Amino acid sequence: MPITLVNPLDETPRVVSKPAPRLGTLAGKTIGLLDISKPGGSIFLNHLELLLKQRYSVASVVRAMKPTFTKPAPDSVIEKLIDAKCDAVIEALAD
Amino acid sequence: MLEIGNEAPDFSLRALDGTETRHERGSQSEPRLIMFFETDCPTCLLTIPYINRLARELGESSAILGISQDAEGSTRHLIDQASIEFPIAVDRTLSVTKLYDPVAVPTLFLIGADGRIVKCVSGFDKHALNEIASMMAGAPFIIAEPFDGAPETKFGCASRHLEPADEGELAETVNPYIKQASRASRIELDDSVDPFEFCLSFGDPLPVIPPAVERVDRMLAATSLAPDEVIALMPPNYGAATVEKIAANAVMAGCKPEMMRVLIPLVRAVCDERFNIHSVQATTHFAAPLVIVNGPVRDELGFAGASNVFSNVARANSTLGRALQLILTNLGGARPGEIDMSTLGNPGKFSYCIAENQEENPWEPLHVEMGFKPEQSTVSLFAAEPPHGVSEHTARDGKQVLKAISRALATVWSYRVCAGFEAMVVLCPEHVKTLHRDGFTETTVRDFLYENTGIPLRHYEDGFGEGVPYVKLYKQATIDGEPCYLKFLDPSAIKLVVAGGTAGKFSAVIGSWAAGPRGSQMVTYPIENW
Repeated sequence: MPITLVNPLDETPRVVSKPAPRLGTLAGKTIGLLDISKPGGSIFLNHLELLLKQRYSVASVVRAMKPTFTKPAPDSVIEKLIDAKCDAVIEALAD
Repeated sequence: MLEIGNEAPDFSLRALDGTETRHERGSQSEPRLIMFFETDCPTCLLTIPYINRLARELGESSAILGISQDAEGSTRHLIDQASIEFPIAVDRTLSVTKLYDPVAVPTLFLIGADGRIVKCVSGFDKHALNEIASMMAGAPFIIAEPFDGAPETKFGCASRHLEPADEGELAETVNPYIKQASRASRIELDDSVDPFEFCLSFGDPLPVIPPAVERVDRMLAATSLAPDEVIALMPPNYGAATVEKIAANAVMAGCKPEMMRVLIPLVRAVCDERFNIHSVQATTHFAAPLVIVNGPVRDELGFAGASNVFSNVARANSTLGRALQLILTNLGGARPGEIDMSTLGNPGKFSYCIAENQEENPWEPLHVEMGFKPEQSTVSLFAAEPPHGVSEHTARDGKQVLKAISRALATVWSYRVCAGFEAMVVLCPEHVKTLHRDGFTETTVRDFLYENTGIPLRHYEDGFGEGVPYVKLYKQATIDGEPCYLKFLDPSAIKLVVAGGTAGKFSAVIGSWAAGPRGSQMVTYPIENW
């Protein structure tokens, strides 16, 4: 006998957004570094900041930090990176 | 909307206790706080506990009035649900609302002794709440701590008098928290398809009961809620957990229709911001939500709290725990190997649900400790590792039983890490009997475990490792003559539950995920009587 099922999966409509355009070069760009506040994150990002400036001639680096790695970044952290007009943002996990 | 410096208009409303509440210029000597709210506004629900705290701290001198924009029935329901401790009046015709003209709810107006508005805030704002509290107390006063699990700010809902629908629409027919979503789609299977095979992609890898329309309808008939009502948006993908979707997953898990009574508050609880299911689902740690059921619903729906409580002993435990897991993966999207990348996982991700054995608990059961009445049924959630057994059959007294438990507690998370987590201690009836005989109470059990669970300082000389960089944050104490760091931040980090059979001296400790406002906090929600 045919059977009709109620779809038990998520059917919430989603808006698909395009990925941000990729940078052709890092030289002269402003790069945001987002520390999610896991142990060791600042050490990793300090090295990355140096590399970005010395090896890739990044113009400026903006540092931001989430209050806790356990929750999504609050608007204030995202706004800081937007206000700084970052060309790209690198988010650092650690441990 | 009235602004700072405006004269606060006079009004008169009947409070729910029957008294006439007047506001007249010149009739007050202290600042007075007026809060406009709706009964179905999540931001109002977020704000109310802070105003409760303010009312409590200021005591009898507090001049706080809540003005509900909804009908008396739903207002009384909210007072009960949110344990509101300050006077409430109902603005049935929205006449007072129109005088003050708040743009949103909640809106707080603080009226100075001169009858003028000295502060107003719309929506939830911890900084503004603290300013108001300080102005009312006449000294710096914090009612809203940072990182207490609530966001710093949250937008409110449109004030009733500004809603586009019929002016003065009342919330009597509107259920709290609810928005609507589309009905679930239907999947037609012809005879060539085995429905059990087809449904293997719907959740955990074990077979499920196919969520046939007829079965889901029986589940829906057990609730008065509309199928398209959204109970919560389920992190981490924030899929809409409608009543119908919850019902379909409940069918698959094998729940009886009456389990909807528990599932609805359970879905709300798991999405409580304090519990932080977003990260409990996304972490590589072991954590899985452990459901603890208390109150009369245990007998009404057949939850087991005695022998084999953590295993395959009762349909109610097994199906409720499984339904929650199916909802989390199917609607929240934390599927193993995708968003859920837990290193080792947790057998509790099939089902993790116990009832407290209140009949063997001579003290207060968990829900009463959490502030509920004994006759109120509740569900609690704890972000839990699997249970770790503690056998102690030969100790003669309660202290020795607790010593054994404290040694197990010292190992949770990792042996040299202290303070960043909680633990649940599941005491078996025989251990409880010994502790009770020796005069222990829940408070003294917790205090003893807190004071006697520590990591000897010498272990920190073993070399570098997890927990070692943070020793400056740890508290020191001497345990059995040995200098130690205390394992837990304070006694409240140790949660006590009595469960298990009356034979066998086996208790258990269960480590948590990251705890506190920056991690996951235990939540307890009432189960309504249907």
